[in-house]
Amino acid sequence: MLSTRADPSNRTSYTFAPNDRCNNHCDERMEQAIEAANLAKSYDGHRAVDGVTFSVNTGSVFGLLGPNGAGKTTTIRMLTGLTPPTSGKAKILGLDMVSESLKVKARIGVVPEASNIYEEMTALDNLVFSAELYGVRKVERRKRADKLLEEFRLEDRAGDIVQGFSRGMKRRLTIACALVHRPDLLFLDEPTTGLDVQSARQLRDEVRNLNDNGVTVLLTTHYLEEADQLCDSIAMINNGKIVTIDSPENLKACVTGEKVVEVSFSAQVPEDELNALDCVTEVHRLGDKYRLTYSGGDPVGGLVDYSRGRDLTIVSMNTLRPSLEDAFLKLTGMTPDEVRKEKEPQRQRRNDG
Amino acid sequence: MRDQLAKSLSIAWKDIRVYYLKAPNFTYGLLMPVALYLAFSVAGNLRPETLISGLVSLVVLFGATSIEAVAVVSERMSGTFDRLLVSPITLRCILFGKALAGSAFGPVTAILALVPVLLISGTSVASPLLILIAIAVSSFAFACLGILASAYSKWIPEAQMYSNFLRFPMAFLGGAFIPISSMPQILQTVSRLLPLTYSIEAMNQGFASTVPDLTYAIDMVVLVTFSVACLLLSEWTLKKKNG
Repeated sequence: MLSTRADPSNRTSYTFAPNDRCNNHCDERMEQAIEAANLAKSYDGHRAVDGVTFSVNTGSVFGLLGPNGAGKTTTIRMLTGLTPPTSGKAKILGLDMVSESLKVKARIGVVPEASNIYEEMTALDNLVFSAELYGVRKVERRKRADKLLEEFRLEDRAGDIVQGFSRGMKRRLTIACALVHRPDLLFLDEPTTGLDVQSARQLRDEVRNLNDNGVTVLLTTHYLEEADQLCDSIAMINNGKIVTIDSPENLKACVTGEKVVEVSFSAQVPEDELNALDCVTEVHRLGDKYRLTYSGGDPVGGLVDYSRGRDLTIVSMNTLRPSLEDAFLKLTGMTPDEVRKEKEPQRQRRNDG
Repeated sequence: MRDQLAKSLSIAWKDIRVYYLKAPNFTYGLLMPVALYLAFSVAGNLRPETLISGLVSLVVLFGATSIEAVAVVSERMSGTFDRLLVSPITLRCILFGKALAGSAFGPVTAILALVPVLLISGTSVASPLLILIAIAVSSFAFACLGILASAYSKWIPEAQMYSNFLRFPMAFLGGAFIPISSMPQILQTVSRLLPLTYSIEAMNQGFASTVPDLTYAIDMVVLVTFSVACLLLSEWTLKKKNG
């Protein structure tokens, strides 16, 4: 288990003593780990990020949510110093990202979407090399590497070349490498993409663990459930612009005006017939089910009458609370099909892995 | 500054482990120039010292540039270069570390080629120190040239094309096989623009004299200037590519 302590340089650092969790980061909660002001990035005339402004409280988990090409990764690249902004400013841990980039980089950890460890090197050598890059003292490097290998359940493979590792193991090692210098702020770009269900769950536990121990986390994800489970605040980004920023519960509350019922019949029915029912505003087919969005009434009676009229049986019918996906759809203007398509390649990769 | 240099050394050692300590790299770095050398030495009428200087310079050129030409571009393709860029080290020091790795590889292949050739030919060396310095400085210059080719490329075949485009004309115009004085005037002028010319010239000095003369000093200055120019141009190119 990770725990934190404050060192003389007033930075959070971890020890791995069990049952020794410190909550001193809670006092700093309201300080801002990230302040982005009108951050913009253009490539060949295309505005990938169009003046985003947001702040991330110290000690929180902040999610950047959006479809492919929304500008999430470009925003992270600007905040981590990988690419300079075309305009706007960013302060990371109180330091200017452009003029004080080396100081910023010494205090942040970055986990990109694709694992970027050296596959020709062993897990241990990767960690020690990372420690060298961050100027960790020689006597400390091996100790920290060993502890991270243990924490990320890789100690049995410490001396093995990374090439033979599974995708989940590579992901865990990439995160471990980003933590070897004990950063105050961790950037996670699509942390669970391509992982099997169990590895993804373990990784989410690791992220919670890190945050419990004082690390501020900014993550991007396609998985709305993941954002719902992990994030204190979420910024929804679409076409390079922030659509909204709020807590997951507040975001869900913004769609309470519309209700959803999922119904399954004994046979397929035309969507436009369901759309013609009273108070139904939208219909989407999801496998053998139909998701009906309605407002200003209740379509249940209408659905029962409709099924009788068509000589159909209702196999199941559930009224649903609005989910983060509903909020996402409403705020980004995407359809459930588009969201499914976004997730599809990732599911495929999970299955492959 | 010391901290940045220590990180450059870490990158150099990592590159040596990841890219250089592989048998195919040694064989390519040695076999290509040795084959060229043998082909030309049979028909040529150069003095043994000049031929050996040419061979060693070619081995250094091929050895130092062979992997360095793809090291940056392959890291950019795999994403590991971003890992270096997000750490607290300047791009200049990252490139310097990579050049150090390349310049460590050159001398190893050069000595592997030089020792047997000296033993077989019975050629005497006036100043091993001058030759070793020339090998080290040349290796650094050629590693920087490899980095420049890599910085300009989007993928590995493109980097290999650029480096071959630079290496092969240099091999023929740098005085390794054909004496520069016997070339047409225009080619003599071109040869003065090539770093290999200065590398061979400096090594010739090591065979002929125990003390460096002005030519040797000029050769060293030209090679160091060339290295710095390549590194700065690579840095500028990569910064531009990163937006």
